[in-house]
Amino acid sequence: MNTEIKVEEVDIYKELKTEFGGLGANSFQGKMQDYVKSGTPIVACTDDFFPELFEAMDLPFYFVVRQGLESAFHAGRGPEAVDGYDEFNGASTLCSLQKASAYLLVKDLLPKPAAIVMTSTSCDAQTAVNELMSNYRPWAEVPRISVDASFEKDEASMEYLGKQWIQTIPFLEKATGKKFDLGKFKEVCEESNKQTQLLFDFQELRRAVPSPIRAEWGFIAYMGCRWSACGRQEGTEWMQRLYDATAQRVKEKKGIDGVTEKIRYTWFDILPCWSDKLFPRLEQEFGAVNLMDLYGYCAPWPSIDTSSLESIFTSMAKRFLIGNPMTRQIFALSSVYGGDAVNIAKNFKCDAVIMPGHIGHKDGAASHKIVKDMFRELGIPFFVIGCDVFDERYMDPEVVYQKISAFFETSGLT
Amino acid sequence: MKSGIKSEVYDKLAGIAGNVSNSEIENWQKQGGKIVGYFCPFIPEEIIIAGGFLPYKVRGTGSSDTSEADEYFDTKNCSFVRHCFNHALLGKFDFLDAMIVGTGCDHTRRIFDNWQVAPLKTKLVYLLDHPRTMGTEGMEETIISYYRAQLAKMKEYLENNFGVEITVPKLRNAIKLCNETRLFQKKLYELRKVENPPITAAEMASVLMAGASIPKEQYNEYLKTLLKDLSSVQGVKKDYQARLMIIGPAIEDPLFYSLFEENGGEIVIDDTCFGARYSMKSFIDEEAEDPLHAIAKYNVSDVPFCPKINGSHKNRIEFIDKMMKEYKVDGIIGQGYVACDPWGSSFGMLSAHMKDAGIPYLRLEREYISTETGQLSTRIQAFIETIGGRK
Repeated sequence: MNTEIKVEEVDIYKELKTEFGGLGANSFQGKMQDYVKSGTPIVACTDDFFPELFEAMDLPFYFVVRQGLESAFHAGRGPEAVDGYDEFNGASTLCSLQKASAYLLVKDLLPKPAAIVMTSTSCDAQTAVNELMSNYRPWAEVPRISVDASFEKDEASMEYLGKQWIQTIPFLEKATGKKFDLGKFKEVCEESNKQTQLLFDFQELRRAVPSPIRAEWGFIAYMGCRWSACGRQEGTEWMQRLYDATAQRVKEKKGIDGVTEKIRYTWFDILPCWSDKLFPRLEQEFGAVNLMDLYGYCAPWPSIDTSSLESIFTSMAKRFLIGNPMTRQIFALSSVYGGDAVNIAKNFKCDAVIMPGHIGHKDGAASHKIVKDMFRELGIPFFVIGCDVFDERYMDPEVVYQKISAFFETSGLT
Repeated sequence: MKSGIKSEVYDKLAGIAGNVSNSEIENWQKQGGKIVGYFCPFIPEEIIIAGGFLPYKVRGTGSSDTSEADEYFDTKNCSFVRHCFNHALLGKFDFLDAMIVGTGCDHTRRIFDNWQVAPLKTKLVYLLDHPRTMGTEGMEETIISYYRAQLAKMKEYLENNFGVEITVPKLRNAIKLCNETRLFQKKLYELRKVENPPITAAEMASVLMAGASIPKEQYNEYLKTLLKDLSSVQGVKKDYQARLMIIGPAIEDPLFYSLFEENGGEIVIDDTCFGARYSMKSFIDEEAEDPLHAIAKYNVSDVPFCPKINGSHKNRIEFIDKMMKEYKVDGIIGQGYVACDPWGSSFGMLSAHMKDAGIPYLRLEREYISTETGQLSTRIQAFIETIGGRK
C-alpha cells in the first residue's frame, strides 16, 4: 500500500524552500568538498556549538551529527550506516542518528578536520560520538578542545561555560591559522540576534488557529538560521521573507492548504525522517495538524550581549544552556522537559500531545511518567509511542500511524 | 566457586554484600546515626563521612523484577537504574535519611527527578552537578574549581538539613579514612597477582560491595583482619585456562563472576565502578590546604573515569594497559548493561585497541541481574577455550 501523500506547497513557500537550498549550498557545509580539495583548514564540531565564532573567523566547519542526517538518512543510506555501525561492536541501543554519524567517522568518510571542538551536552549518545571524534583512529591525532557544560543553569554556570569557550579562540587560531577579529565577531553576533528574534516572532505566528504552516517549517527555519546562514545577512533576509509570508497567511486566516484543521497536536521530539509517510496521512484522515517539534520550538533565546568579549561568551553560554534545543530539554530536569511540552500545548492550543519516545532519548524515556502526570492534570490527551525517528525499520511508519489513529479515536478526538 | 577462605571476617562481609541492609546499618541507626545514599563513585563519600553520616552505595541486590520502577522508567533505561529504583519503591531503602544523585548519565540522572515525585519515605534528595569533561589542556583548573564549588553546595545542603558542621579537620580525617580503605583494598588486589590467588573475583567483589554499606572505620578494621587471614593462606591450586581483566560498570551480581570461574577463567583485575578504579589509581591529598579542592581534583582528573566523561577514554586505556601488564592478563572482558551508550561505544574503541595489541577481547552486553545465563556462559566458555588453546 502506498501511504505517501504528496504535499503541495503554495508558491511562496516553494520559493522559500528553493532559497533555503541556496543558503545550504552557499554555507560552509555546502562548499565542504571545495575546502577539502583546496586543503583549507576545516573544523569538526558537535551540533550544539555556536556557529557565530566560525562565521566570524571565516572558518569552514561542519557538525558531525548533521552529517549523519544529511549524508546518511537524507541520502537514503541511513540503514546502511546504522548496520555498519553495529559491525563496529559499539553501543547497540545508541541513537540511530548518532550511529550513522559514528559510522561515517569510523569508516573515515568525513572530511578530516584541522581541529575538533566539542561540548559535553546534550545526551549520552553525543558523548559516545565525542569520544570517537577525539580518540578513534582517523582523527586520533587531530588537535581537540572539549568544553564542559554545567548542568546547573545559574549565573556562575554561565560564566564557567563562557570562560572555557573563550579559550577556543586561541585554540582555533593555532590549529587553523585563522585570525580572530572582535569587531567582526560582534557584527556576526548582532546579525545572529536579529535571526533569533525572527525565529521567535515566526514561532509566535504559528499559534494562530488554523495553523498557517506545517511544523516542518520550524525546523527548516532553525536549520536556515543556525546551521546554514548563522550571522549572515542573507540568512536574516530569508528568515524575514518566511516571517512575512506567514504573517500574511495569519492575517488572511489561512490554514494549511488542502487541510481542514480538526485536531491540533504537538510531536514532542525531533521530526522523523519518514515524516512524509505519517503527517500528511494524519492531515487527510483526521484533519490532524502537527504544530511543533523539539527543534522547531524556540524557547526565548537570550540575546548575545556584544558589549565585550566576556559578555558575548557569557550570554552565549546562557543562550546555549537555556535556549538550545535538546540541551535545553534533555540536559535539564524533567520539569523543564515536561514544562516545555506543557507550554507548547497551552500556547498553541493543542488538543493532544504525542511523545514519539525516540529510542535514543533515554532521558526522555525516564521522564514519561512525570510528563504524563502533567498532562493528566491539564486534561490533555497524551501518548507515548516508542519509535525511532530516524530509522523507520525499528517501527514501521504504518504502525506508528495506526497507533496514533487509535489514540485519536480512544481520546474522543475524532 | 569459593577459594576456601577460612575467615570469619570474610563470612561477615559476604553476608553484608548479599543483602541490601545489614546489622551495622541497624546499629548505626539505633545510635541515632544518619545514613546518606548515593549512586555513582564520583559522589565523594568523604564529604558524607565528614558530616558524621554513613555513606551507603545504593544497589539492587536481591532484586528480581522491575515492575514497580517500570511505571517511572522505560525498558529503554538501563536495568541497574530500574532494579535500584524498584527497591526504593518497595521500601528497601527507607533507612536512608537523604539521597544524593549525580548528573552522570542520562539514566541515573533521572533518578533525581523520579525520586522527587515518587511516594518514597526518604524526602531529602540532592542533585550534584559533576563535570563531564576531563583532559582538556589548559582547562583542568577551571573544571576542578567548578566542581569544588558544587561540592561546597552539597556540603552546605547536608549541613543545613541536618544541623551539622563539616569542617576542614573533619574533611581531612574523612579523606584519611577513605585513603586507608583504598590502601587496604589495593593490598587485597595485589594478592591476586599470584598464580593461585587466595581470594576469588566473586569473593573480592563481595568484600568491596560490603565496604560501601557499613561505617568505614569498622570496614577498615575488617579489611585489616582479612588481609591478615589471607596472608598465611595459599590459594587453592586451580586448573584455570586464562587470567582475565573485566571492564565496565559495577558488577553487583556474584552469579555473573561465577560464570567465568565455572568456565575456567580467573578474573584477576578489573576496571569497574567501585572496583579497582576506586582503589588502584591514586589517593586524595590528605594534607591539602583546601580538602574540597583535593577531593574535586581526585574526581575530575585522577580517577580513570566512567565513559560518560568526555576525554576519559585515553585515561582509561592507559590504566587498562598498565593493569594488564601488572596482573599478567591473557584476555579482556568488556561488560556493560543493555542501553548504556557510553560504555557500549567505549567497548567499540576498546575492541579496536585490543585487536591492535593482539589481546583476546570479549564483549558482553547484559542485564544488571543475571537471569538468562545460558548464552552468556556459552560465549564465555568459547572465549576462554580460545585463549587456552593459544597458550
